[in-house]
Amino acid sequence: MEEVPTTPAPATPAAATPATAPAASVAADGEPRQSAGWSRILVAAAAALAFVLVGATVGLLLAQSRTPATVIPAPDSVAVGFCQDMTVHHRQAVRMAGYVRNISTDPAIKRLAFDIETGQIDQIGRMQGWLNIWGRDSLPVAGHMGWMAEASHGGHGGSGGSLAQMPGMATHDELTRLESLTSPELDTLFLQLMLRHHQGGLPMMDYAAAHAEVGVVRNIAYQMQTAQDEEIGLLTHMLAQRGAAPLPAPS
Amino acid sequence: MASGKTSKAVRSARSSVVVSKPKPWGTVAAVVVILLFAGGVFGYAYNQWDEKQEREAALKAYTPAEDNQDPSDKIEGVVKVDYTEARGHVDATQRVAYDKFPPFGGPHDSVWAACNGVVYEKPVRNENMVHPLEHGAVWIAYNPDDVTGEALEALKSKVAGQTHLMMSPYPSLDKPISLQSWGHQLKLDSADDPRIDQFIRALRTNPYQHPEVGGTCDPSPGTWNVDSPPPFVGTDPPPDAVPMTGGVPQGDGTEPPATDTPAPTTTG
Repeated sequence: MEEVPTTPAPATPAAATPATAPAASVAADGEPRQSAGWSRILVAAAAALAFVLVGATVGLLLAQSRTPATVIPAPDSVAVGFCQDMTVHHRQAVRMAGYVRNISTDPAIKRLAFDIETGQIDQIGRMQGWLNIWGRDSLPVAGHMGWMAEASHGGHGGSGGSLAQMPGMATHDELTRLESLTSPELDTLFLQLMLRHHQGGLPMMDYAAAHAEVGVVRNIAYQMQTAQDEEIGLLTHMLAQRGAAPLPAPS
Repeated sequence: MASGKTSKAVRSARSSVVVSKPKPWGTVAAVVVILLFAGGVFGYAYNQWDEKQEREAALKAYTPAEDNQDPSDKIEGVVKVDYTEARGHVDATQRVAYDKFPPFGGPHDSVWAACNGVVYEKPVRNENMVHPLEHGAVWIAYNPDDVTGEALEALKSKVAGQTHLMMSPYPSLDKPISLQSWGHQLKLDSADDPRIDQFIRALRTNPYQHPEVGGTCDPSPGTWNVDSPPPFVGTDPPPDAVPMTGGVPQGDGTEPPATDTPAPTTTG
């Protein structure tokens, strides 16, 4: 057995070191060995090359048939939670703005309401489209803003962090009252409710802009925050112009 | 020792076999054919793949995406200014001391010009034309002395009826054509310039480049008459014009509340 390692095993050097082995074989064994060695080497090398080519081709075809990897955020992710909650939050703003745009007689109020209504409807469409593509619930299923609490506590704890109502949302009674008024009382209450509504949405936007798992969600949260920050100033100014004070900001 | 003997025997046996065999030209030929075939298949597949990559890269070069947030960076000559902090509102009686002509950011009238594919025949007031840029529109301005006839028709045909596009003459424009989107401007000599389409594709409703994502280009009902919009004012702004940092809201105590992000109080 101790001789095995030194035994010339013709196939082994050919497979292991195709480039150098043949020369040695030729020198040691002459013409006949050369012929046998070359054909084995040729077949082995060709098989290896063909294998590589087939593999590369299959790889290319696979790469072509696959769509680029996209991040599908988890059902309890920040991205999904933000899109679900902000859809609800926006819908109430759209409801108030749509009503006021129709009923108010103040041109500046009607214009502001139209701007809010159209812009937020568009944004709802984006968020609903993403949820749909991701195969997630289009609306919250277990309270609101649990996605913020969970992430901040660093755990995957259950539904303990959810709120029954988001900050800034108008109550049923407030909406009923709004929809019973006409200008100028309607305009003032609209500004007050919309200001508080915007203020209440900002923490969600801030949080999602920083923590959402998907770039488009981080971006829209950031852009909402930028736009609503500015609009908060505008609403405050318009309230002051009409001699009214803001409602207490949501805690 | 036994293995050594065997080895010798095998060796000599093989030698004799090889010697007695004719040279394996058949094997060589078969191997070459198989290799050529495999090489051909790979080459074809690679070529297809490469063409597809190139085609897709060309198609999406100017498409805004998370990894391509400002495709206008690829367009030569685009001037960029960050107007994020210059978005106040003014009223119909005020003028803004714009820093660029045509302006492409800064305070603006709270009434936005219709930007839903409107071709304005006469120059329109700057303060109204800046607001649509904030909503994601692209504004094509042209010098009416330089752009006429076919060139003018070519531009109009790009804009007419297309949302988030608007076009208007701009007297004394220093180039024949100037394209504006929020924070971006490109001045050009020719209506044939391919950069016009590139600019529009890169910036129109680009959600990474304008602050009011989803903003409409339809005018607020009753606020805007596309047939007689407020006219352009070519004189220098008066001393009391609203500065670039001005408009409503100003930094005068109407600042929004701090938006540090505490987690909501948990109730469960």
